Amino acid sequence: MARATRLSSRIDFLLFIGCVIIALVTLVLPLQMREPLAEVLRRSVVAPLVNLQSNAERWHTAWQLSEERTARLDSAVMRGFNATALQTENDQLRKLLGLGARLHMGFVPAEAVHNAVREDVVTTLTLTAGTRAGIKVYSPVVSPEGVVGMVQTADPSISIAILFSHPDFRASAMSGDGSSFGIVYPHLRQGLGSSGEYLLELRNVPFRTALAPGTMIYTSGLGGTFPRGIPIGVVLRELKTAEGWTRTYLLQPSVNPAKVNAVMVLTPQRSPQRMDNVWQMVARVDSAAHGVVSAGDSIQRHATADSVRRVVGDSVRRAAGTARPDSAARTDSTPRHRAAPAAVADSTRPRRQTTDSSRPRPVRRDTVRRDSARRDSAARRDTNARRDTSARRDSVRPVRPDTMMHR
Amino acid sequence: MNWNAVRTAVICAILIVLHYTVRPLLAWNVSIDFLIIALMFGAVRMRPGLAALFGFALGLVSDSLSPGAFGAAALGMSVVGFGASWLKAVFFADNLALNGFFIFLGKWIFDLIFVLVGHRMHGAELFMQIVVWSSLSAAMTAVAGILAVALLRPLMEVRTA
Repeated sequence: MARATRLSSRIDFLLFIGCVIIALVTLVLPLQMREPLAEVLRRSVVAPLVNLQSNAERWHTAWQLSEERTARLDSAVMRGFNATALQTENDQLRKLLGLGARLHMGFVPAEAVHNAVREDVVTTLTLTAGTRAGIKVYSPVVSPEGVVGMVQTADPSISIAILFSHPDFRASAMSGDGSSFGIVYPHLRQGLGSSGEYLLELRNVPFRTALAPGTMIYTSGLGGTFPRGIPIGVVLRELKTAEGWTRTYLLQPSVNPAKVNAVMVLTPQRSPQRMDNVWQMVARVDSAAHGVVSAGDSIQRHATADSVRRVVGDSVRRAAGTARPDSAARTDSTPRHRAAPAAVADSTRPRRQTTDSSRPRPVRRDTVRRDSARRDSAARRDTNARRDTSARRDSVRPVRPDTMMHR
Repeated sequence: MNWNAVRTAVICAILIVLHYTVRPLLAWNVSIDFLIIALMFGAVRMRPGLAALFGFALGLVSDSLSPGAFGAAALGMSVVGFGASWLKAVFFADNLALNGFFIFLGKWIFDLIFVLVGHRMHGAELFMQIVVWSSLSAAMTAVAGILAVALLRPLMEVRTA
């Protein structure tokens, strides 16, 4: 038994020594002899294992590629988000540059920093400019779209502005054609509109003037804070109130405070000046032109009716042989129908007669319907006749190239 | 039929397959050497001579894929297999930590022989490989070996009537 055990031990040792010697021999073999041996093993015994390894490595490579593709896709999406944000900011800054070019002077550009505390309704903004830059309390804060708010606190390097959504905000406002005036308040009953937008109220509008939905509302310049002509918003609808002698309208603001990132603060030297030519009160001109056209149509209807009556009267008098030349003048004794006698004198050319008989006011000339271009220009002149001369010149002045560009 | 031998062969085959499938998938810098685990697992269940032959065969398989040091792995695994078989009494002890330590030792000795005989590294690189990377790899192999032994122990228990 012991002999057998010893024999087994010797055999084991001999096997071990044999393995070691063979391994050492293979180690010292030249490369050209080792490589065929390895190749034989790779092609026979190890072939299935080599296949397994190559498949595993292929899986691993595919997995890595998939991860890299996912990472690239994520990066691309992230870049896309950044690009959209940059584009939006770029658009805002371009608009602000355009506004600066139109204002020429008297403004301070500032970055609007929203409060760290998240608000459902943004009511204040921190501006990155203060008294050192010329900003004072109650300085108007505007954006390329219109009124944003006013400065409430001015420190040397920063200032805090209340927005039009703030409960303390008030602004004197008017319609585009200057026919209606009122005071703009924040619409606090609901805070946010149904679609999440900020809303305003135009209160104390005289009951005799009704504003149609879509009418643009501007600052009137009467309050002393905001210069005249800055867009505030658009009339959405009339609000029913207990006050029977005035009207209240709901406004959609031109500016969304939540998206304001850069603003212009108007300095005191710029505030008293009008802004009619800055925001291009197109709506006012259109409204005025519409009003003049309506007036022209009314005058023309009266003139036509008078000429018809005159012709009928002449025919009757001729038939009776008792025609009197001055009877027409007596017939048309109403002062507001002064054009009628001339129209009667020459019933075949009523419009020219109407124009000639009127005073040299553009409105009367505008009754000639065939020349719409003349009527439009006269409408502008008529609008100007009812308002300030400088505002008129601005409203009919051709749009400057830089203004066109920034539209 | 010796079912223990069959079970041992099957488990060693599984571990060898894992070496060529799981390790490339993981592709860690410090990789698990399933061949050493298979060698240690099989060596303690056979005579030292056969364990040396088993290690030699596994080493040749490993060397065939790295012809630059053809024979180094065969030498290392022969030594490790023979040594593990000599120390089978320790391995049969019901102590996972002890088993893990011997797997760690086997892997580290194998790496030492492989690196020294293969003449692949010199100086500081050799020192770093032996002290740091081989130790880390041996530790990872030991952890994987402990898990394997713990999982496979019920299969390898000798049933008595």
